[in-house]
Amino acid sequence: MNYPFWYVPYLGSGWVIGIIAIFHVMISQFAVGGGLYLPLAERKALREGRADWMKELRGYSRFFLIVTGVFGTVSGVGIWFSIGLTNPEATSTLIHNFVFGWAMEWVFFLIELSTVVVYYYTWDRIDPKLHLKVGWAYAGASAATLIIINGILTFMLTPGDTWLAVAGTGQEASKFWNAFFNPTYWPSLFLRACVCASLAGIWALISASRIDTEKQPALKTSMVRWSMNWLVPSFVAMPFLFGWFLYMVPATQRMLLTLGIDTIGTGTFSTVTRMALLIVMTSATIIGVAYYLGYRNPVEFNTSHAIAILMLALVATAAGEYSREMLRKPFVIGRWMYSNGVRVPVALKIDDQGYLVRSPWVYDASSSYSRGEAIFRGECASCHTLNGYRPLVKLLAGRDAANIANFITMLHEHKPDSPYYRFMPPMVGTRQDVQDLANYLNAQVNPPRAAGSILTAHK
Amino acid sequence: MITKTISTNVYDWVDERLGISGLAAFARKKTVPVHAQSFWYYWGGISLFLFLVQCFTGVLLLVYYRPGADAYESVRQITFVMKFGWLIRSAHSWSANLMMFSILVHMFSVFFMKAYRKPREFGWLSGMVLLGLASVFGFSGYLLPMDELSYFATKVGLQIPAAIPLIGPTVAALLRGGPDVTEFTVQRFFALHVVVLPALFVPLLGFHLWLVQKHGNAVPPSEELKPARERKSMPFMPNFLRKDLAMWIIALNILALLASVFPWQLGKAYDSLSPAPLGIHPEWYFMSPFEMLKLLGKVLPGESGEIAGLMLFTLGIALWILIPFYDPDKESGRRGRNAHYFGLLAVFALLATTVIGYWTIR
Repeated sequence: MNYPFWYVPYLGSGWVIGIIAIFHVMISQFAVGGGLYLPLAERKALREGRADWMKELRGYSRFFLIVTGVFGTVSGVGIWFSIGLTNPEATSTLIHNFVFGWAMEWVFFLIELSTVVVYYYTWDRIDPKLHLKVGWAYAGASAATLIIINGILTFMLTPGDTWLAVAGTGQEASKFWNAFFNPTYWPSLFLRACVCASLAGIWALISASRIDTEKQPALKTSMVRWSMNWLVPSFVAMPFLFGWFLYMVPATQRMLLTLGIDTIGTGTFSTVTRMALLIVMTSATIIGVAYYLGYRNPVEFNTSHAIAILMLALVATAAGEYSREMLRKPFVIGRWMYSNGVRVPVALKIDDQGYLVRSPWVYDASSSYSRGEAIFRGECASCHTLNGYRPLVKLLAGRDAANIANFITMLHEHKPDSPYYRFMPPMVGTRQDVQDLANYLNAQVNPPRAAGSILTAHK
Repeated sequence: MITKTISTNVYDWVDERLGISGLAAFARKKTVPVHAQSFWYYWGGISLFLFLVQCFTGVLLLVYYRPGADAYESVRQITFVMKFGWLIRSAHSWSANLMMFSILVHMFSVFFMKAYRKPREFGWLSGMVLLGLASVFGFSGYLLPMDELSYFATKVGLQIPAAIPLIGPTVAALLRGGPDVTEFTVQRFFALHVVVLPALFVPLLGFHLWLVQKHGNAVPPSEELKPARERKSMPFMPNFLRKDLAMWIIALNILALLASVFPWQLGKAYDSLSPAPLGIHPEWYFMSPFEMLKLLGKVLPGESGEIAGLMLFTLGIALWILIPFYDPDKESGRRGRNAHYFGLLAVFALLATTVIGYWTIR
């Protein structure tokens, strides 16, 4: 508890990461897929001697350079800022384990960024074969960044038993490769590779859809069809890869998926199911639209169709990343650190010593309200806000002070039969901490009445 | 080879009796005009699609819903116990709202493209009746869960028919099945929602669609001015149909998105003795008429003022419905322009009163 707590009203700090990350994933996976698309398309154009393709690809690579080089990099840095502020404990654990992983990744970033610039500015200026080699260099570097970051992302969901055995001993980095090639590494890598390929196809479709049908029908047909092919591997392999991925996820986590089939409401946790439904729906639509509008009738394929596909892909990506995050509940690093940054083995110690014992971030340590506020920010605010996303005021509405205290006590006891056991970390701390948090939340849910300021109901 | 012969024979047998080949020939010949405003042609189709979603999800809900004293409990079971019950209920509620929205867009696009002019008057009139029926669908469906919100909103909403001079109180009592909103009201609204309204809506919808086939798509006045060879069109089969279906799929995706990300909630069971919760307001598509009546009531105070307000309001709606007779064809000249201004005024009034309505919720 040595870090200050970053509370973002209404939105919640998690969504700050979420919004930046979803944007980043859309672009960075495009950077990887597009990195392969460009040299492959260029090679095809060279072999078939198609000057019109070359001209298109040149225009497309400019768009590619700007989107990945500007928005991709800026949003990537944004993720660092937001995760450091939102969950400093988890960020710290990741850095301690993967500092060399990230060091390698940044080398590849540098190669990626320099080759894409060289690639764009040397069209027609160097030998076409050399130009193509620059393209391949870019493709390799950008693929390497995915190969590395995937290890870190999947580690958070499934750190693996080998790493967990050394976790907390100070020797964690000695099991770097076990942590890196963790149980979900391979299914996730193949899943993401498929997504990269489809995103490359989808962005290329936007560019191809703008080719004038009346002037260059043959060019449009060939480019739209060829770009459509990039969606194929993903939609053939995705269901199997997804099944493989789920198979590697611990059963307790998998259960979160079945929970939403028959339950819904502000207080229940069926989000994963709902997101999974969205993924199925949007993916099926992308196939339908791509096949009937794109593949069967490429000349009629226009920019609004392409943008519709992109939007659907955005929804599918957002839903996919969101459910991946949700599957991790109640941990931020599987079985090792709870969503609110409390390490699993430390929980009992905190119960003994108190949550705020080492925290200098309490406004007034002598006030129960202030202590409760600090505990709220530390233990609840990584997932909840007061009045916005997952609003505690609404979720606890209708309960009185005693009832709220009982509820917090239930979260504190964290018994396996508690309905919240599977999604929520225990509320850690002493009896006094429980009471302080309950007091603070009660003051939000049942604000003390100021005379005359309460609106009366309609007549 | 044999299967082909069989299918040809079956087709011939059916065709001889039903005349399908005539329909197929009609479909092949049918075209849809292409111009800058073609986008608005899709909204009728979107409304139709959402209506079909309503029928499908509605029948599924009907399987488990129990009107009367059990109403709330059965909706609770649908939402929290039945597998994917929440999804069906969410989709039903969301698509009802989306359908109202797309019908309104469809109506205004028809209005501003002057598609109500000769020979399409019946299309306009039947459309207005369909809109009226759709809003009664919405109003009656809203009560069915019998939670706190729907109970009090219905209570407030029934003040509108109750304010009609002379017959109002009787109409309201007839709808309520007594002096107050009770289980009997749910029973009545249920009958209205699943039997009476569909029985009226479906044949009228058939008539409306038949008229579209008979007269084809109207072109806006700016297109009409162009010489025939400059006008573009596309075949209905398969080009327009394909685009129409793409729109349906987009609508389905938006519906899925809304229903999964913002599942429809169920409030507390109603309690007629408890005070109304704060911020009771009609659904968004009733907000504007509700607010207009409220504002007119302020300008014209007293009981006679209330009646005058209602008359004024009715007059506005009557003018709107009768617009094809004021602006009958492209020779209308100045009347055509007046109708256009009247439409703009209606859009403005609708938006302004809706905004004021939401602004003043307490």
